[in-house]
Amino acid sequence: MIRSFADMDRLASEKGPKRLVVLAPEDEEFMLAVRDSAAMGYTRPVLIGDREKMERLADQVQYDISSAEKIYEKSRQTIADLGIRMLFSGEVDIAGKGQIPTAYIYRAIIREESKAGKGKVVSVISMWDIEGLEHLTCFTDTGVNITPDYRAKAEIVRNAVFFFHLLGYPKPKICVLSGKREVNGDIPSYQDFLALKKAAAAGELGACEVMEATSFIDIFSPGKTDFRLRDIRIGRTDFPHIMLVPNLATGNILVKLDFALKNVRRRSLVMSSRGPVIIPSRSDFRDSILGEIAAGVTVAEQIKGGGAS
Amino acid sequence: MMTSFEQIRREAKAKDKKRLVVAPVTAATDLSTLTAAMADGLVFPVLVGDGKAAASWLGREKIPAAHLEIIEEPDEAKALTLAIGMVKNGAAEILLRGGMDPKRFFEAILDREKGLLKERVASVVSVFDPPGVDRVTMATDTYVNSFPSIAEKITITENVIKLAGVLGLASPKIAALSAIEQVNPAIPSTMDAAILSKMAERRQFGDVTLEGPLDIDCAVSRRAATRKGVHSPVTGQGDIYLMPNVEAGFLMAELSVFIGKTPMACALMGVSRPVVLNLPFVPAENRATEIDLAVLLCGRL
Repeated sequence: MIRSFADMDRLASEKGPKRLVVLAPEDEEFMLAVRDSAAMGYTRPVLIGDREKMERLADQVQYDISSAEKIYEKSRQTIADLGIRMLFSGEVDIAGKGQIPTAYIYRAIIREESKAGKGKVVSVISMWDIEGLEHLTCFTDTGVNITPDYRAKAEIVRNAVFFFHLLGYPKPKICVLSGKREVNGDIPSYQDFLALKKAAAAGELGACEVMEATSFIDIFSPGKTDFRLRDIRIGRTDFPHIMLVPNLATGNILVKLDFALKNVRRRSLVMSSRGPVIIPSRSDFRDSILGEIAAGVTVAEQIKGGGAS
Repeated sequence: MMTSFEQIRREAKAKDKKRLVVAPVTAATDLSTLTAAMADGLVFPVLVGDGKAAASWLGREKIPAAHLEIIEEPDEAKALTLAIGMVKNGAAEILLRGGMDPKRFFEAILDREKGLLKERVASVVSVFDPPGVDRVTMATDTYVNSFPSIAEKITITENVIKLAGVLGLASPKIAALSAIEQVNPAIPSTMDAAILSKMAERRQFGDVTLEGPLDIDCAVSRRAATRKGVHSPVTGQGDIYLMPNVEAGFLMAELSVFIGKTPMACALMGVSRPVVLNLPFVPAENRATEIDLAVLLCGRL
C-alpha cells in the first residue's frame, strides 16, 4: 500500500524511468522539474512544444535536451492532442501538462476516451499527504466538472476508487462532502450523498464504503455539540481516502488550501483509462511539479503491475 | 487595527459592560463561555428559560445571584420571542443562542418583522486567527446563504466590510474567490466576482480593494499569483475572502479548523443587534471571542 508521497518518491526511483510526454514545457519551473525527474531516474521525457522556447529554457536551466526526443509544435491544441494520443497508443506511460490551458488537455483526453469506446467522465484527483495521517487522501473532482450531477459524481467516485485500488487500498472510504448545515434544509449535494450511499451499498461504485460523514465536523467530532482544537488528532480519526467535492469552485478552494496550511502537501492527476496525466497548477513550483511526476511514475507502474500490495 | 483574538478581547474589555440575554436556557445549555465573559466584566447576563437549569448553573459555577437576572419562561419559543423583544427595545444589547437548535433559532431571528433581520440578507463571517500570521482574516458567507445571487453577494460584502470596520480595518483587502482567476461564463461565480470587483473599483463599497475572480492560490500566495500573471495588492495580503457559495464557505471554514487547527470565531452580520450563534463548528476555545465580537458590534450595526 502506498501511504505517503515519500512512498511514491521511493517507488518512482526504484521503478523508473517511465516514458513521460511533456506538453509544452515552456516555463522555467516546469523545465527544472522535468530535468530533475530525468536526472533522478524517474522519467525519459519526450518534449512537445515551441522549439525556440524549449531550447532557450533548457539552456537557461542547464538541461541538456540534445538526446531527449523532441516534437516541435506551436499550436496548443495540437500539442495536447499529440501528447494524449501518444499516451493512449502506449508510446508513453505518462503525460504531463506544461504551459498549456488545462481545457485543451481535458478535451484531448475526452476525445481519446471516446475513440477507445470508454466514454468515461474525466476527473481530476488531487491527493493530499497530511502530516500525522497514516494514509493518502484525495479530493475529487477538482478540475473538470463545474457542477456535476449525480451520474457524473458516481463516475467521479468510480475513477477515484479505481485509483485507490491501484495504490493498494482494497476498500477505500469515501466522504461525500456537502455544505449541508443545521439551517436551510437539504441541498443537492446532500441528496447526492444519500443516493451515492445506496449505490455503494449495492456495489455499483466498486469495492468501497461511503461514510456517514458529509463534512469535517462529522469526521472529527461526530454527534458532539462541542470540541476543542487542542484535542484534534488526525491520526486517531477515521479519515476518508476519497473526498468527493460538491462542485468545482469548492474543490479548487479546498484542495489548494495547501498554500495556506503548513501540514499538507498536494499532488494532482487525471486517471485516464490508459494511464495518468499529471496536471500541475499553473501556480505550482519545481518541487511540487517534480512530486507530481513521481506520482505519475508510481501510478504508471501500478497499472503495469496490477496494483500495489 | 485588531490583529489577534487576544487583542479583540482587550478591546472588548475596554468597553462598558453589556446586557446579554441568553435564550432559551434549557437543561442542555452549555453556559461555560458566559462564566469567562462575566469574569472579565464583559457582560451582565439575563437568562430566559428554564429557571431551574439557570439556578443549577449558578450554583455549580458559584456565581452570586446578584450578578445576573433570571426570567422564568419554560416554553422555548416564547423565551426566544421575549429575548428578541428585549434586544429590540433596548432592555438588553446582545442575544446569545441558548439550548434551541440553530434551525429554529435562525427562523426566529431572521424574520424581517418579528426578528432582527436588517439588511437584504444576514450572513455569517468566520474570523480566523491563523497561527504565525500577523493579522486576523475573515471568510464569508460560511453558514447562512446556500447559493447567494449577485444581489445577495453585494449585501454579504457590505456586511463583512462593516465588521472589518469594527475591527479597525479601515481599507480592507478583499478576495472574491472562485474556481479560477479568469472570468468564465461557464462558471457563474467568476462573473459575480468580476462584478463585485468592478463595483469596488467604482468605490461602491467605499474604501476597499476588492479583487476577483481569484482562485485560492492567487489569493493566499503572492508568489503563486505572480507565477500566474495576476498582479494585485490583494494577492497574499487578503483580509477578507468572499466565498462563491456556502459549500465552499462552510467546508473551507471547517477544513481550516480541523486540519489547519486554525482558531475561528463567527459573527452574524446583516442583523440589527449583535447575536452570538454558538454554532457547532466553532471550537470551544474560541466561543469567548464570539462574545467579544458581539460586544464590539454593539451600537455599530
